[in-house]
Amino acid sequence: MRITSFMIFNQLTRSLQRNMEDFAKLNSQLASGKRIEKPSDDVIGMMRSLDYRLSINNTEQYKRNIEEANFHLQFTDKVLGSVSDSLLKLKELLSMGGNDQTDENRSFYSNQAAEWRDFLLELSNTKLRDRYIFSGYKTDQVAFSYNSSTCHYDYNGDLGKIQIPFDTGATLPSNIQGSEAFSLTLKGPLPTELPDGTPLNYTQTTDSSTGVTTITVEIGNAGDPDYDTFSVSNLMDVTNVLSYAWQYKDIDGSDLHSDAAIREEMAAHRLMALSIPLDDAGNQVLQVQAEIGTRQVHLNDQKTRLDNTALNLKNALSKTEDADMEETTTEILKTDTALQALRESASRLISQSLLDFLK
Amino acid sequence: MSLFGLFDIAKSAIFASQTALTVTSQNIANVNTPGFTRREALFAVAAPVALSGNLLGNGVTITGIKRYYDQFIQTQLLGQYENYGRSSALNQTLSQIEQIFNEAKNIGLAVPLTDFFNAWQELATNPEGFVQRSDLLQKANSLVLAAKQMERGITDNLESVSDSIDNIAERVNAIASEIAAINGKIVQVEAGSQVQNANDLRDQRDVLMNELATLVDFSSYEDENGSMTIMAGMRNLVSGETSNSLSTRTNEEGDKDLYLDGINITGNIKKGQLGGLISVRDTIRTNSLNGLRRLIASLIQEINALHRSGYGLDGTTDNDFFAPLQLSTRDFSSGADMTATITDSSQLTLDEYSIQFDASGNYFVYNKQNGTLVTSGAYVSGSPISFDGIEISITGTVTSTDKFTVSPLTDVMRNFQVAISDQQKIAAASSNAALPGDNSNALRIVQLYQNSIANLGGATLSSYYGGLVSTIGSMSRAASDSLTFDDNLLSELNTKRESLSGVSLDEEAANLIRFQRSYQAGAKMIQITDELLQTLLDL
Repeated sequence: MRITSFMIFNQLTRSLQRNMEDFAKLNSQLASGKRIEKPSDDVIGMMRSLDYRLSINNTEQYKRNIEEANFHLQFTDKVLGSVSDSLLKLKELLSMGGNDQTDENRSFYSNQAAEWRDFLLELSNTKLRDRYIFSGYKTDQVAFSYNSSTCHYDYNGDLGKIQIPFDTGATLPSNIQGSEAFSLTLKGPLPTELPDGTPLNYTQTTDSSTGVTTITVEIGNAGDPDYDTFSVSNLMDVTNVLSYAWQYKDIDGSDLHSDAAIREEMAAHRLMALSIPLDDAGNQVLQVQAEIGTRQVHLNDQKTRLDNTALNLKNALSKTEDADMEETTTEILKTDTALQALRESASRLISQSLLDFLK
Repeated sequence: MSLFGLFDIAKSAIFASQTALTVTSQNIANVNTPGFTRREALFAVAAPVALSGNLLGNGVTITGIKRYYDQFIQTQLLGQYENYGRSSALNQTLSQIEQIFNEAKNIGLAVPLTDFFNAWQELATNPEGFVQRSDLLQKANSLVLAAKQMERGITDNLESVSDSIDNIAERVNAIASEIAAINGKIVQVEAGSQVQNANDLRDQRDVLMNELATLVDFSSYEDENGSMTIMAGMRNLVSGETSNSLSTRTNEEGDKDLYLDGINITGNIKKGQLGGLISVRDTIRTNSLNGLRRLIASLIQEINALHRSGYGLDGTTDNDFFAPLQLSTRDFSSGADMTATITDSSQLTLDEYSIQFDASGNYFVYNKQNGTLVTSGAYVSGSPISFDGIEISITGTVTSTDKFTVSPLTDVMRNFQVAISDQQKIAAASSNAALPGDNSNALRIVQLYQNSIANLGGATLSSYYGGLVSTIGSMSRAASDSLTFDDNLLSELNTKRESLSGVSLDEEAANLIRFQRSYQAGAKMIQITDELLQTLLDL
């Protein structure tokens, strides 16, 4: 093949150009630390890394959701712990003062019960981030409030469970409704008479829209002078009845009976009849706390899993899109050597001409 | 034979050497001239003289100047310049589009899209939170902005493709008229001559044709007078000394069409930069642009459907989150007007439709994407036509040549905006009674991110977008690979051409010495002949 100066020159510039291109590309890989700098560098790798990055992004969001849910649950758990303590104190009060007959003591117990009642009401209306935590979906309304016309405490919330997504297609409620924590359901078998032989009957009705169970207590035989009936639908109601009973009064403040002896007997019956609901209430709160614990364990497991997943995904992402530094550096050295050799041979090839030898 | 005969021989030797030296000098002078083909003076023995029965030599003559040229290589080169032009246009445009979808540098829609859905998750964890609500609105606005920027990036590129087509057409015209002028000169120079001796003009014409080939594909042939006829898109661009002008016109899609000699030749241009630009703009339009618009249209459609069913903190419902889709129509009729409205956005397929009429008063609605007939029937003047959640009504009289198109995609980006300004109206709740803590509608919207969407061919939002990125990535990769290939092949052919036609300075240096020596020897012959004559005169 006939070689001309233009061919040599052309060949040379092209080779230099190609080498410089390789050089620039390797350099930019080294600078960014990324093997893939645009989709066409590696289409499949790019798609994979996009997938990984979106998954990591999702995982991080789920982790944030879990933290938020955990925060709510922990807070709720603390509040319920106080409820549980209050119920224990109330039981102590009941066992201590159930049979006390002195007016002075009874008024003390009554005041104590009233204080616990108000404390429980406060707990039921706890706010977190300006939201009432026991109101279901109706977080802008107090969960329980005193109704002065019925003299009962009413639940203003609903059954709403605020579901928090913690994985693809998986959610878990972050709240406990007031009707679950503060309204009580009696677990059978229920006694049919008081320890002194008086007939006793509990009737429970549950409102399906709020989940509140109303317990109607009947003591004695209908028509007897000491026949008594009243209803409670939450812990505040129970404590309220106790508080008034120590003063021989009904919740509307009227005397239980005009006859002092019957009044005393009715009050004693009330105190006795409420000890069972109080026990059950304690258990129920514990159960709710256990439920919260289960949710937290579930969320923490999920968080660990998400942490692992995120780590795996980040590793995979790094393997897919990160440049192998050692390899890149070696490649740069190789390219550099080739470039030097090329320059050297070029300087010899180009500088030579027959004209130099013709004198 | 007289001594003067010797003078003649010596003179012919000097003249021949001088001519050869001129040719060599010309070669050396043009060593760097692009397209120059090296020449060689052709020596031949001069016709001998018969003297007393013997044929005596009569010196040397130059029979011609040879141009080292291979038509075959030149034809191959032209073809390769066409390929190279196409590849470089494809590569340049696609690599720019690729940068718009460069998810490797987090440029594109993936991040704003996931941020948007993550904001819905944040809202789901705090349905009544104002911080979460205003954050969601902000993320939605970022998504809108990002999508609009991407569309603008693509349409800007399409516009610059159009501009390039205009500029290239002008350059083609300039080259064509130069070639036509050179044609005339070549015919003039070579008229009556048996050899092709308009060497410099031919070199010039080849250079111009090489450049023309990078711009547009053409076929060419040379007639017996040496005039080159060039046809692009099967129409004459250059014929003899006249050239036709290549012009551009904007077609109904807003793209430039090429007209030569009054005929639309756009479809016949396949190679060269023009061919590359024409093919790449169609690819970008159907893949990237419509793909992006379809993605956003689906997002608007799906989010709005869910959002309308939910309730805001203020108890309002039936609110659109994004501004609803709007139809854009095109009217190719003589005297009728058409309006189109969306009657049921859940039935929209997001495809484009064309509505046509026949002579017997029937209408036909075609899906432009797949060409299928959607609906047809007898057209009753003034009564609306409904299909796929769209209702169109036409005023005025229609004829069989009238045509309308309806598209839910064309204006998607122009109308893409967040319709909610009051954050209270963000519908996280599914029921009015469960306000404000109900997050179930927000959860349904969160779920949408994982759902496959019928109008995206069953893909999820993110996987459909991933498809767009990988398509443009593959196309850009293919374009850059074929550019490398075409560039190498072109360089190979140029090397082949150089090997034959290029000037070697070493060779020319040797020739210089050679012809210098023969010139000197010729001169010596004259001196000797002169001495011989002197000898005679001195007798």
